[in-house]
Amino acid sequence: MKYSLIFVALLSITTLYGVETAQETQIQNYEPASNVAEPQDQTIGALLAMQEEMEANANEPVLEEAKPLIISVLGQGVAPMNTQSPAQAYALAKRAAIADAYRLIAEKVKGVRVDGQDVIKNMMVKRSMVRTAVHAMVKNANVVETVFKEGLCEVEMEITLFHSDFAQ
Amino acid sequence: MRSRDGDNSFSLRLCTIIFLFIISSLKAEEYYISYRYVVKDAIIYNESLQVSPAMQKCNGDTYLPLILENNKSKNLKEILSNNSLVFIDYLHKFGLNVEHEEKTSNYKNTSTTVLTLKTKCFKVDFNDNFARIAPLK
Repeated sequence: MKYSLIFVALLSITTLYGVETAQETQIQNYEPASNVAEPQDQTIGALLAMQEEMEANANEPVLEEAKPLIISVLGQGVAPMNTQSPAQAYALAKRAAIADAYRLIAEKVKGVRVDGQDVIKNMMVKRSMVRTAVHAMVKNANVVETVFKEGLCEVEMEITLFHSDFAQ
Repeated sequence: MRSRDGDNSFSLRLCTIIFLFIISSLKAEEYYISYRYVVKDAIIYNESLQVSPAMQKCNGDTYLPLILENNKSKNLKEILSNNSLVFIDYLHKFGLNVEHEEKTSNYKNTSTTVLTLKTKCFKVDFNDNFARIAPLK
């Protein structure tokens, strides 16, 4: 009777151990499978990104040798609070809107430099900072239309780019 | 006109003086002009137009002239202040340097845009009713 009890106990221990090792091997077997799936996801993601980029490039106008490119922007400016007359407010808001339009043209033609910095402490964003800068020389930009409404001035500006302007 | 002794050198001298006087009175003047304005947060912050007579002669040919009303004045600053809007629109044609900086800190945005016309030499012809101003290239 004693021997049979000891045998049963040993048998149960071995079966339990066997189940645990089987689970471990299953997990070990799953791990390589998951590792194999990741590169596939990455390649699909890269392909999708490339496709999106190509579509975006197809929609963007490109400056060609025979065809000048017209860039149109809408600059916005606000009149200051302490103006002497509505005419002065209009003139100042228009000046600010023109500067904004020049900036937009420069951004489109030459590009923007962007610097960013985030400070994260204890899993929380402490400080977030984004700086952008544009430096360019804009010539031959023309005002197409000016709208002044409720203190906001909107100026539509156009610039015509020729291939010869950029040829080296 | 002849002098009593029949010598015409007097009339020649007089004509030379008159000619030199006319030339000196019609002589074009040269000025250095620069323009700069600052826009902060979509509101104009500062605008300056610097005009200074040239101490030395500028070289080059004139192009793209502008004619401004004069009212017999020979003071360029006065003429420009009377026609400031026209003149500033004219300055935009020469191209402006754009410097823009934008800062977004903790989701609050501030921006500064500076437009500058670098100092340029302009030739100015003063007449009775108008002044002709043109840059030199």
